[in-house]
Amino acid sequence: MSRRDSADGSRDAEERGNDSEERNEGELRTDGSGEVGTNRLGRFLADLRAHPRRAGLYLVLIGLVGFYLAPLETGLLTAFKTQSAFTETSPFVPPSLDGLTIDPWLTAWNRLAYALANSALFAIPATIASATLGSLAAYGLTHIRWRGQVAVMALFLAGVFIPYQAVLVPLTQLWGFIDMTSLLAPIPIVANYVDLVELMITHTAYGIPICTVLFRSYYRSFSEEMLEAARLDGASVFRVYRRIVLPLSKPMFAVAFIFQFTQVWNDLLFALVLITTPSNGVVTIALNQLSGSFVQQYNLQMAGAFLAALPTLLVYVLFTEQFAEGVAGRTT
Amino acid sequence: MTRVTLDSLTKHFDDGGGTVVAVDDVSIDIADGEFIVLVGPSGCGKSTTLRMVAGLETITGGEIRLDDTVVNDRQAKDRNIAMVFQSYALYPHMSVRENMSFGLEESTDLGDTEIGERVENTATMMGIEDLLDRKPGELSGGQQQRVALGRAIVRDPAVFLMDEPLSNLDAKLRAQMRTELQRLQEDLGVTTVYVTHDQTEAMTMGDRIAVLNDGRLQQVGTPLECYHEPANLFVAGFIGEPSMNVFEMRVDGEELVGEEFTYPLSSGTREALGDAREVTLGIRPEDVEVLTGTENGRRDGDRSDDQDRNRDGRHDFRTIVDVVEPVGNGNNVYLAFDGAEAGTEALGEAAGDGSAVEDDERVAMDLEDSDTFVATVSGLRRIEAGEEVYARLPEDAIHVFDAETGEALRNRALDEEETVEPAA
Repeated sequence: MSRRDSADGSRDAEERGNDSEERNEGELRTDGSGEVGTNRLGRFLADLRAHPRRAGLYLVLIGLVGFYLAPLETGLLTAFKTQSAFTETSPFVPPSLDGLTIDPWLTAWNRLAYALANSALFAIPATIASATLGSLAAYGLTHIRWRGQVAVMALFLAGVFIPYQAVLVPLTQLWGFIDMTSLLAPIPIVANYVDLVELMITHTAYGIPICTVLFRSYYRSFSEEMLEAARLDGASVFRVYRRIVLPLSKPMFAVAFIFQFTQVWNDLLFALVLITTPSNGVVTIALNQLSGSFVQQYNLQMAGAFLAALPTLLVYVLFTEQFAEGVAGRTT
Repeated sequence: MTRVTLDSLTKHFDDGGGTVVAVDDVSIDIADGEFIVLVGPSGCGKSTTLRMVAGLETITGGEIRLDDTVVNDRQAKDRNIAMVFQSYALYPHMSVRENMSFGLEESTDLGDTEIGERVENTATMMGIEDLLDRKPGELSGGQQQRVALGRAIVRDPAVFLMDEPLSNLDAKLRAQMRTELQRLQEDLGVTTVYVTHDQTEAMTMGDRIAVLNDGRLQQVGTPLECYHEPANLFVAGFIGEPSMNVFEMRVDGEELVGEEFTYPLSSGTREALGDAREVTLGIRPEDVEVLTGTENGRRDGDRSDDQDRNRDGRHDFRTIVDVVEPVGNGNNVYLAFDGAEAGTEALGEAAGDGSAVEDDERVAMDLEDSDTFVATVSGLRRIEAGEEVYARLPEDAIHVFDAETGEALRNRALDEEETVEPAA
């Protein structure tokens, strides 16, 4: 029997224990009425009757859930309404059959598709690059001894706290110095995406400090003896990283991917500054352009917003399990 | 096959401006195929010494030689040394098979088939062939321990280093693994350096043991040498369980005078002490003979005669049994010198008459104040706390140490047949 199995087993046993406790309470309370809650819902309701304060708590919680989900619900409903249905009905109310449409989604898709592709083109490499470099830097800062480590770590830490706005001017100056256009000119296809390459490099550099800090705290929890054992087994510093540290880093990579991808994908500021060619427009810019100059087409904007948010949701879903492990800090 | 030489090995750690000397001028010659145990209390530098041999710590001074090659500047991965860690240090994401293959893949040019074969063979030898496809997280502590050993053995290294490999096991399993490790080492014949703080492990496993304290080497010798002929007070106190009894004494003519008792010396022993004035008298618990009145005289109803006979013994001392700890095959008897005559009587009264509470308390105080010492007697002997007994400290069993330097001035006498070399 594997450890996971036995852990599950004990958890089951625990749940059973709790259940039987609840059932006992339920029976005590419903003794006179003869109505013994046998299913979960029945027991739950019986529980509520016995503890009015808990019922209050649930009401508050449900209220909070509604409060937080209301904007999402409103947005989603709005995206399925025609312009007239939007003006006639309250935002919370679902549209009538006449007012139901998927046109905003199609229009949004047509106008955003190229930008979604552009965003993916720079956001995915930037995410992977900053996580990988951050992981390597963290490994070098935790498990390899060299002079001046503390000072370098301090620089990384400082990097975490630099706001986007503070680097806008130096950033434009930097890309002014470096003539990316002529550097990339010999490479076909890539030459068309100079702005995106600049954006990718910028985001990678900007993401390294936070990724390093994340990975460093994770690597410090690694057993020193395990890495020493690998060295005694004949592995070089890089082989230890490749065969021991990297495979064990999966949960922290999930954390870094989710965090970094969301940051990069949702960024508008760097994109506004660095993107000059319209064909290189990224999704945040394109989304911004959906707001018309004369008439506000809310349904279109909402559909666009959901389309633009979809990839980040997808990343969350893909890495959720690993993410949870990473946050819990388990190494095995 | 490899000899390991530690030559004036020294290690300093920087500690916020100051330096801490972790290992101080340690020299040990370890023969090919020898099982040597580095033993000492925590912080004595034994692990640091081992880690320097492994190449995990830099060397401040001195040399480490494998055969005749100085390896001070050779990286850990190039020393052909395998180490077993206290935490086992298995790679959690790899199966047992992968854990064991890792070292061969990284340090040799062997092909996959040959690596596979060697792993299988070692696993069979270690009795872990059924676990090869499991992950370390799915193994019990004892199984992980075996895998860690197997991982070291499969590489067929020049030297095994073991850093307290058994201390995470429960007592039963530890005793079992102790024997098994010893047998393995004998079969493989690989030079082994084993670090432990447990003197039982040191005594039972090592061909020789090296006792360290405060970074300094105290003594290197066979377990029995260290036990019977300790070089100094530290070794005497560290090796042996229960510890050797020690008494602070002053040399006064032909006698040792202590707070609790006066110990007459034969001329031979007196000579060995030279001009030392303050000395420490030591005696192993099993060498203390406990003589009770019941045994010798009471049956005849002639107790006073018997007591007189005991008093005649120059090295018999009147004591009161403080605590008796039965350990099965023996009893550890804690004895207190019978300093206060009144106290003893009060104890007798208290035993018979519950009203003498005050006196009873006074006795308790007396017993606590006076230092107790330990004697081990046969487990079948009945001795009760509070009983009055005579402790005989035979002169041929005593050790005398210089109180200032701790150096042994005289060790116990051994009969000719009682050799300290282990039987081959």
